[in-house]
Amino acid sequence: MSPETEETSRRNVLTAAGTAAVSVSLAGCLNSSEDPSDGSDSDGNSGEGSDGGESGDGSSGETQLLRYGRGSHSGTIDFQNSTSGEVAKVTVQMYDTLINFEPGASTLTEGLATDYSLEGQTATLTLREDVTFHNGEEFTASDFVATYRRFVDDSYEYYAGDDYVSAYGPFTLGSWIDEIETNGDYEMTIQLTQSYAPFLRNLAMFPSAVHSEAAIEEYGTDLSNTAVGTGPFQLENLDDGNERIRLSAYDDYWGEGPSVDEAIFVTIGQNSTRAQSLASGELDIVDGLGAQASQQVDNASNASLERAEGINIGYMAFNIASVEPFQDRRVRQAVSYAIDTEAIVNEIYAGFATQASQPLPPNVLGHNEDLEPYPYDPEQAQSLLEEAGYGDGFSFELATFQNPRGYNPSPIQTAETVASNLSEIGIDATINQQSFSPYLEYTAQGRHDACFLGWYTDNADPDNFAYVLLHPQVDDQYLSEEQDWVSFDTEGYNTSNRSGWANSEYMDLVEQGQSTYDESQRQTLYQEANAIAREEAPWVYLDYAEELRGVSNRVSGYTVAAISGPYLNLVSLN
Amino acid sequence: MISGRFVLKRLLLLVPVLLGVASLVFSILHLSPGDPALTIAGNRASEEFVRQIEESLGLNDPIWVQYVDFLVNAAQFQFGESFILFRDASVTSILIDKLPITIELAVYGQLIGISLGIPLGIISAVKQNTLTDHTTRVGALAGISIPIFWSGPLLILLFAQILGWFPTSGRISAIYNVEAIRLTGLLTIDTLLYGEWEMFISAVKHLALPATVIGIYSMALISRMMRSSMLEVIRQDYMRTARAKGQGSKITVLKHGFRNAMIPVITVIGIQFGSLLGGAVLTETVFAIQGIGGLLVEAIRVGDYPIVQGTVLTFAFLFTLVNLGVDITYSILDPRIDQ
Repeated sequence: MSPETEETSRRNVLTAAGTAAVSVSLAGCLNSSEDPSDGSDSDGNSGEGSDGGESGDGSSGETQLLRYGRGSHSGTIDFQNSTSGEVAKVTVQMYDTLINFEPGASTLTEGLATDYSLEGQTATLTLREDVTFHNGEEFTASDFVATYRRFVDDSYEYYAGDDYVSAYGPFTLGSWIDEIETNGDYEMTIQLTQSYAPFLRNLAMFPSAVHSEAAIEEYGTDLSNTAVGTGPFQLENLDDGNERIRLSAYDDYWGEGPSVDEAIFVTIGQNSTRAQSLASGELDIVDGLGAQASQQVDNASNASLERAEGINIGYMAFNIASVEPFQDRRVRQAVSYAIDTEAIVNEIYAGFATQASQPLPPNVLGHNEDLEPYPYDPEQAQSLLEEAGYGDGFSFELATFQNPRGYNPSPIQTAETVASNLSEIGIDATINQQSFSPYLEYTAQGRHDACFLGWYTDNADPDNFAYVLLHPQVDDQYLSEEQDWVSFDTEGYNTSNRSGWANSEYMDLVEQGQSTYDESQRQTLYQEANAIAREEAPWVYLDYAEELRGVSNRVSGYTVAAISGPYLNLVSLN
Repeated sequence: MISGRFVLKRLLLLVPVLLGVASLVFSILHLSPGDPALTIAGNRASEEFVRQIEESLGLNDPIWVQYVDFLVNAAQFQFGESFILFRDASVTSILIDKLPITIELAVYGQLIGISLGIPLGIISAVKQNTLTDHTTRVGALAGISIPIFWSGPLLILLFAQILGWFPTSGRISAIYNVEAIRLTGLLTIDTLLYGEWEMFISAVKHLALPATVIGIYSMALISRMMRSSMLEVIRQDYMRTARAKGQGSKITVLKHGFRNAMIPVITVIGIQFGSLLGGAVLTETVFAIQGIGGLLVEAIRVGDYPIVQGTVLTFAFLFTLVNLGVDITYSILDPRIDQ
């Protein structure tokens, strides 16, 4: 091949390649101009409810847009499809529950039900009239019934499916509801399977919101990417590619607000980047801030850090059944005295948390003000250990997750502090760190000696901590008078109780609390239960973390809510 | 000339490579601890509920059944449904959403790399052993050595925070509804096709920093290759002949030298494009761009196996495709490779 032909052939190829590229892009243009609405996912449109115009494409300068930044996208916008708090942030904007939490508080207030009561095993609700869904349908009791059946009733034609519904189905509703009766369109009675005090609070949780019956029949499980609610905002579009969810104000909303035209949820994974975006004015509200990013927000001139007491707890659970020394209460107390939780909260958590003293955080009925956190007292710890016959110490494995969680922003550092504190009284703790998902499995199987974990409340009811996290929930035959623990392999054991603790006096109190409706009586029961839990120390009570939000100065009316929310309908922009 | 046999041979070689990657991904995910059913069910689920999920996902099937299912589906670009991040959405449709984002970033990064790397390499070669050459070489070395997770935040700090010229993160300002103009998924193209100038400018501003971060690395590699290749070419006999015939040194370099020196550089650009996809993992994380790099990181974090499998295989597939393209181009440029 002569040099010339080689040159020519190379040029030809380049020309051919160029032509191909041009024709491909032209084809793209032609295709699109023929059918501009074509796309792989036609879902996520606002549907019939809106005027169908593509507003907000940048040209409308007057649109008031509220920008909310967070760490993860919601992979679904159906409240029955996930237990995730990220999902809840979006669904509460578009859907209503029968009963609401008061914004920024843990008390209940009316929602789609104007009147509600619980007596014995019967809940009676009167529903709000003149409420319309985003598709124009009127809201009635049959919508709630259809929603409930879609969630938990596998004999229902529109049941969403075992692999679709979230664990909240049985947890909040299914396990407690025996039957729902409607009396006309706006009266409803719910028969419970047993007396259950937290029930009305369960109705205020995000998974208890109401779908439109017509939408259930029309969309089925496609409700994971389209939405027809009664809430203050309706879905404008769900942009999974860019991980943004755009909502627009629903003009016929029955309640207060919204005062902005549109709201958008933006995903920025890194806390520091999210804080920077707030500081540079690209976002209006950000959540999920750790200690460091919170300080970043605090230093920003055009935004402020808003703090509120959280409804959560971070703890270290002893696996009582598997480590012999832990079976002695004095050893558990000794460990509690030996760990400097004050230093952990102030230094590692940067003061954005308070020391915990008992299973129930403040703001929850039954929190016992008289109980103090265990003070840091190595001498007391040492003498308790000697009393128990472990003066020479012992060793155990402390399991911890690696990634920060709200109730434990620096798990590894916390574990190291605990290990170093314990070495002072001769206890040798080896740290076993894992990523969160395998960690949950490891600890749920009871393979740990001691482990870190925490809990964010579902419904701000004491039962949600006291019963869920420290009651073994096993049959009486497996319990004995001599020992206050059971092993994880006991039949029916509640693995959310990571300690195996089974104290009959405590169990008795929280069982009574579960079926007592009188508030002051309930309070006394839980206060007593908390006193036992502190004394018996099945956990080392570490902290109650604060709720932290970065809020731009142009935002007003925003309340930091430890449960439910964010209440974007109450927010206005200056 | 492209030999059909050569292309076919290379295409067939893709099969064992992809099969290997698929098997590796499958076994790593299945050997790693963590029960997907438990992850999906979450803290609030009862034992019975977890078993239900296991059943419905086919996690109780023997491992080889799961493996064969996975391979058969993967061969048809079906990677199942997302467990957690995009509950029940098909991984393929998620990848279709995300892929343009990463490709756009890689393309612009590469354009920056090429447009800076080639001239710098030529200048460096022509002015060998001068101050310009040394500066360029040190710059290139630094460009290769500085990790993206360091240079990224540094650029954000300077250009977004202190100077305020560029936004800190994302692909376009939140005020724009990009779903309304989605055609190719490439924002810089879609906005132009729709004549949305403001959106186009916003997209370009958002792209500037991350593309630069990727571009710096690419530039460094290209300029080093360009320099050494150019130095070699300059010393060739035909170059001396050209100069002896009285052609100016600029013309000699650009007309005769450049073309010949480009052969190895094109190879590097091609291979480099593949690894840009990998660089996207870091860049997308730093700049909160939701392409497949960021998706992969998030999926690994929460244990969303179908997405991890789909993403890694897509990466592998693209990488091998690009390399195949490079091989073919190379064989065109230098027919000796063809054999």
